[in-house]
Amino acid sequence: MLSSPRRGLASAFVCLVAVLAVLEAPTDGALAPQRPGGPRAGAIRGRVELRSVAPPPVQRPNVSDLGGPDRREVERPQSVLYLETAPRGAFEQPEPGRARLDQRNETFVPHVLAVTTGTIVDFPNSDRIYHNVLSYSKTARFDLGRYAAGRSKAVRFDKAGIVRVFCDIHSHMSAFILVFSHPFFAVTDEEGRYRIDGVPPGTYNVAAWNDRASFDTRTVTVAEGAAAQLDFAPR
Amino acid sequence: MGLRSKARLACVCAACGLVLCARAAAAQVLQGQPIVLGNGAVTLSGDFSASTGLDDPGFYNYTDYQSTDAAQELESADSSLRRVRAALSGRVKAGDHFSFLGELRIQSAGSSQIWDSRPEASALYVRIRPWVDRALDIQVGRIPPTFGAFGRRPYTSDNLLVGYPLGYQYLTSLRPDAIPANADELLRMRGRGWLSNFSVGNPIPQRGVPLAATFRWDTGIQIHGTTDMIDATASITTGTLANPLVKDDNSGRQIAGRVAVHPIVGLVVGASASRGPFFATNAVRAATTQDPDTFTQTAWGADAEYSRGYYLLRAEAIVSRWTLPAVRAPFIDGPVRATSVSVEGRYKILPGLYAAARVDHLGFSTITGTAGPRTWDAPVDRLETGAGYYVQRNVLLKGSYQFDRRDTNRVPRSHLAGAEVVFWF
Repeated sequence: MLSSPRRGLASAFVCLVAVLAVLEAPTDGALAPQRPGGPRAGAIRGRVELRSVAPPPVQRPNVSDLGGPDRREVERPQSVLYLETAPRGAFEQPEPGRARLDQRNETFVPHVLAVTTGTIVDFPNSDRIYHNVLSYSKTARFDLGRYAAGRSKAVRFDKAGIVRVFCDIHSHMSAFILVFSHPFFAVTDEEGRYRIDGVPPGTYNVAAWNDRASFDTRTVTVAEGAAAQLDFAPR
Repeated sequence: MGLRSKARLACVCAACGLVLCARAAAAQVLQGQPIVLGNGAVTLSGDFSASTGLDDPGFYNYTDYQSTDAAQELESADSSLRRVRAALSGRVKAGDHFSFLGELRIQSAGSSQIWDSRPEASALYVRIRPWVDRALDIQVGRIPPTFGAFGRRPYTSDNLLVGYPLGYQYLTSLRPDAIPANADELLRMRGRGWLSNFSVGNPIPQRGVPLAATFRWDTGIQIHGTTDMIDATASITTGTLANPLVKDDNSGRQIAGRVAVHPIVGLVVGASASRGPFFATNAVRAATTQDPDTFTQTAWGADAEYSRGYYLLRAEAIVSRWTLPAVRAPFIDGPVRATSVSVEGRYKILPGLYAAARVDHLGFSTITGTAGPRTWDAPVDRLETGAGYYVQRNVLLKGSYQFDRRDTNRVPRSHLAGAEVVFWF
């Protein structure tokens, strides 16, 4: 189980990022990499080693349940790494993209999705049963209703923050969508590795967020055209 | 305050503390998760609800939930419109083949407050899965209902409205521990299910039974198997559909079964049946020399649920037949029958906000007394409509208006309103 202060801190931090990002506050006068004649962008890379993680969300012990197959997929703990304060010009983005959060074997796949504001997320149902995707988060409140296998519905996320996604029918299904106002973030791969590209030279606070581990921040300096190494080992 | 009261109060405080801790945690992330201990071996969840409503002088919403405190027996019927309930559910996994499930519940009943009630194991059973890769489970103990669909929605959050379907809640005048001596005696109790009394058996006035109990569960063994298309369940238990028991009051056993099919996604159609000796041996012995196991409750049920988009529709019908001993004239001709039909629907208007309605009818067969033929209990109709709003994923506020109509002189019409808050993790 996550301790509540950790989660509270994580939520507060992401909100802070959103506010700061909207204000476009520069750090150390860093410039966006796209500017002609500006310094060459670098990168931040590293690994997040999760020494102990809380167990994944489980089904409520519903005593009226008569039993049945356990269809769930194993949820891999994923972390999201992001710059707490984005460089100036970080918001000069191209067209927002599209992302996908699948519903498969009574599990949202992936469990954590990170997108930029304006992204449209598709929620296909790949199960043979109904699902009902919804969120009552302040960042995005929606309810897609019940729809069957092979069908998909989409939501556009215009506000930065954390969106907690659930299925109205299956209480054990949950996922997180982290919506950023800037593109400087990355989700860890299966081995916990990450890489944030296109980071202008400068000094940044990098945050590591994981819904099942403690929130962590560290400072890193990115040199022109170089990749800075930054590892995390949240408890 | 006595020791027992202190112990109860401590239990209430512990349950509330647990609920509040979980709520505080939930508030941080807009969701409360079950508590997981022992690396996933133990899972705990909680369910808290409190309802309030207008005075119900016609006892339309009184239920068969009863306090286990002997001092409260006479006031044990509780109204679903005025109730506080806290439940802690747990599951302990013991390897791949065994798990133990239970629910500890405290609830206000009648005039007693929640802290006066004794915590009760409303469910407690072991689930055995003989083959890990096959969806076949055997459950032994105080088990979930086999019959029908609504009976397996014990959590307040599963109920769309504040009130309950008549077939699962409304108290008929029949009692397992007392028997009407003749048709006139049964007819005298029309519309008096909240406090019924007959001359044979237990002479103390008590509440009657609904067609199918949902607030108390039966004890026995159950087998459940499922495929993508079909669910099948069968059970043998000590009590009956209307009167589930932990300790049997007669020597017979109830046999129940249900088959549900899923012909298309979103549609579930089920059929159920049950049969078991209804009356307590002591009551039957006072009426007749016949075998108590011949006086049974036999029930058939049909249920359907269809959902799509923002709609949810449910319908359920129960036909129940009780065989009563013939004591003296005017005799009750054959078994007495009761039929309930319930149709309910929900539409989600906005994210987190829904509107719901339920229409109910409860009818009874006719018997002939000295004054002529009449239904053995008073037919009841109910219309309930309301709305629910999710403050967050696990906090639900409900409000509803209810109109009841009954074919009796005592409170033949009733306009009621109720509100309920539900929290779970």
